[in-house]
Amino acid sequence: MMERFSMPGAGALTRRSLLGGAAGGLAAMALPRRARAAGDKPLLVTSIRSLSNPYHAVWKTGAEAFAKSVGAEHVTVVSEGNSEKGIADIKALLSKSGGHMVLNSDPNDTPDARPIVESCFKAGAYVVTQWNKPSDLHPESFNPYYISHIEFDGIKSGSAITEALIKAIGGSGGIVALGGMISTTAAIERKKGLDQTLAAHPNIQLLDFQVANWKATEAYDLTSSLLTRFGDKIKGIWAANDDMGSGALEALRAEGLAGKVPVVGIDGIKAAVDAVRKGEFAATITSDPFWQGGMGLSIGYHAAMKAFDPTKEPHEHREFYGQTTTIAKDNVEQYFKTNVDSQPTYDWNDLWGRVVGPIRAS
Amino acid sequence: MTLHSEQAEFPPQSRNAVGAPRRPSLAAWKTTAARRMRAFAPVFVLVALCILIAIANPNFIELRNLIRIANAAAVPLTLAMGTTFVILMGSIDLSAEGAVAIAATTLVLLAANDSNASNFGWWAVLAAVCASGFMGFLSGNIQTGLRIPSFMATLGVWFIGLGVSTYLLGGSAVRLMDPALRGLALTRFLELPLSVWIALAALAVAIFIQYFTRLGLHIVAIGGGEDLAELSGVNPRRVRIAAFTIAGLFYGVAGVLAAAQLGQSNSVIGDGRLFAAITAVVVGGTALTGGEGGVINTLVGVLIVTVLGNGMVLLGISPYIQQTVQGLMIIAAVASSLDRLRLKIVK
Repeated sequence: MMERFSMPGAGALTRRSLLGGAAGGLAAMALPRRARAAGDKPLLVTSIRSLSNPYHAVWKTGAEAFAKSVGAEHVTVVSEGNSEKGIADIKALLSKSGGHMVLNSDPNDTPDARPIVESCFKAGAYVVTQWNKPSDLHPESFNPYYISHIEFDGIKSGSAITEALIKAIGGSGGIVALGGMISTTAAIERKKGLDQTLAAHPNIQLLDFQVANWKATEAYDLTSSLLTRFGDKIKGIWAANDDMGSGALEALRAEGLAGKVPVVGIDGIKAAVDAVRKGEFAATITSDPFWQGGMGLSIGYHAAMKAFDPTKEPHEHREFYGQTTTIAKDNVEQYFKTNVDSQPTYDWNDLWGRVVGPIRAS
Repeated sequence: MTLHSEQAEFPPQSRNAVGAPRRPSLAAWKTTAARRMRAFAPVFVLVALCILIAIANPNFIELRNLIRIANAAAVPLTLAMGTTFVILMGSIDLSAEGAVAIAATTLVLLAANDSNASNFGWWAVLAAVCASGFMGFLSGNIQTGLRIPSFMATLGVWFIGLGVSTYLLGGSAVRLMDPALRGLALTRFLELPLSVWIALAALAVAIFIQYFTRLGLHIVAIGGGEDLAELSGVNPRRVRIAAFTIAGLFYGVAGVLAAAQLGQSNSVIGDGRLFAAITAVVVGGTALTGGEGGVINTLVGVLIVTVLGNGMVLLGISPYIQQTVQGLMIIAAVASSLDRLRLKIVK
């Protein structure tokens, strides 16, 4: 869903902060204070934005699956888009656990990563961050407690779905694109991926690029207007996330065009995976939130249990792009069987198996 | 009684203009004419907008596009009908997004879906509309019973609705699998999707309530001046609760239509719809202070907003400046429809 990138503004911030309310704080309060003992398993903590989007809901199931596999206590705190609440909850848990804790965090906002990392460092808790951190904040500066930062390459994802779309429409023709909220990194990178790939395919014409703010509802209305403007010239629809892609698909369906005009998106939400199976989506891409939720904790857990020494790891294990999976017609049935119908089983000890390279300096 | 409250609002000068038609001075004639013009300003804006867009891109007036506009307007229209009654009363209703989420959630969870085994068909629609109506009933009671301003009361109900729907859906998007209900958006009757017919029916009901029932009169009366209305025998508490409940029922229908269009519901299905609705109401010429305007104005307002959205795509206006154009449009529409000389205080 990439909900973290699609906060519609201050109104939503207030709403979510109020909504999230006491839930996380209460979770923190309810925990008994624990003393640190040698060989004792650390408290596992997942800090995410919200449970109201499928992406983070899957993240949490991955975290729980890992916690179960090692038999450690696990707590999820939800920031609900409120940075201060997110940080305060983490601090509360640090003091409850006496610092014997592992944190896997998707910071609500880029600047949040710093206070989160600093308070973990001070308390002696191991921390892994994902998606958001300031570019001058580096794990090596907080040895050994700040172990890794994980991101996924938006340019590569944007480019991969463009390739899939071009293949689906037979290599030539017009397409329209629906972008995410203008100012977000993910929206900018994915569009860059689209532009780069299109530059290499002169037979593909980008008829129009519109912004649907990550939302199915806006994509629905925009797509029907685009159909008026370009009609049959539209051979395919590119969407920067699956939610917009499914909105576009429903607008096509209302015109009897579902399955005739292929759609691509990013995130791998269930509706998109189903649409790939039905041949209505040409492809979607997943960063695998189940893996993100479990592996972020696993990396921290192994460091806390002294299974490896973070300071001895190469830089590309400390800040890296994780591997994504493109789900298209040829592998969708397999993916559905292992990731949708059942919970995937991963080897949580394979800490660096999905490292694809160091993060680009921006 | 409505007459009293309306007259109470007029400053002495304009009352003379209305009350002394036999000695029409030029100045007085100008005032009345100007007011009449202003009442129709939103219509002029809409017509001008349509003409300009059609000149720039003739595809705009193709039947297919007009149908698409109607389809895009269906949900906002139904939603804005509800908001209109509350704004007419001089209150504000922020619960629309929460109520839409509740209705859409109730619908997908009770109809055939990909998350549980229930399959109650049209009963799910009834339950969805009732659930949302109950939210409105709640807003009305909170406002009148606890004497909390409608702004805060409905803000609270918005969060409650969003929270409950997030909880019920477990954070995921649940898809609507009942073909009959999907048909609300996909089946066409006389070229128009059923959702458009339902929105038109909602409009008809709203017109009936406003112009042909006592409740409609009382809502306008309270908006014009609650103290006067109460002195004339209106029970403000009952009228308020009724108006909020009616608004909730309209939101419920809108939620059902939204879920049918998108084929799914998640707790953010209502995102962005609140301000679209309030914008449409205000652009249509209904005063936020209450007592003036109505559902017909709102119809025009919804069409302005929808046509503008459609038109900007047709004209190829860069998405990076579309919001700016929308903002200018709102200010222009409100400025032209309000008689600002009559406003003693602007806050």
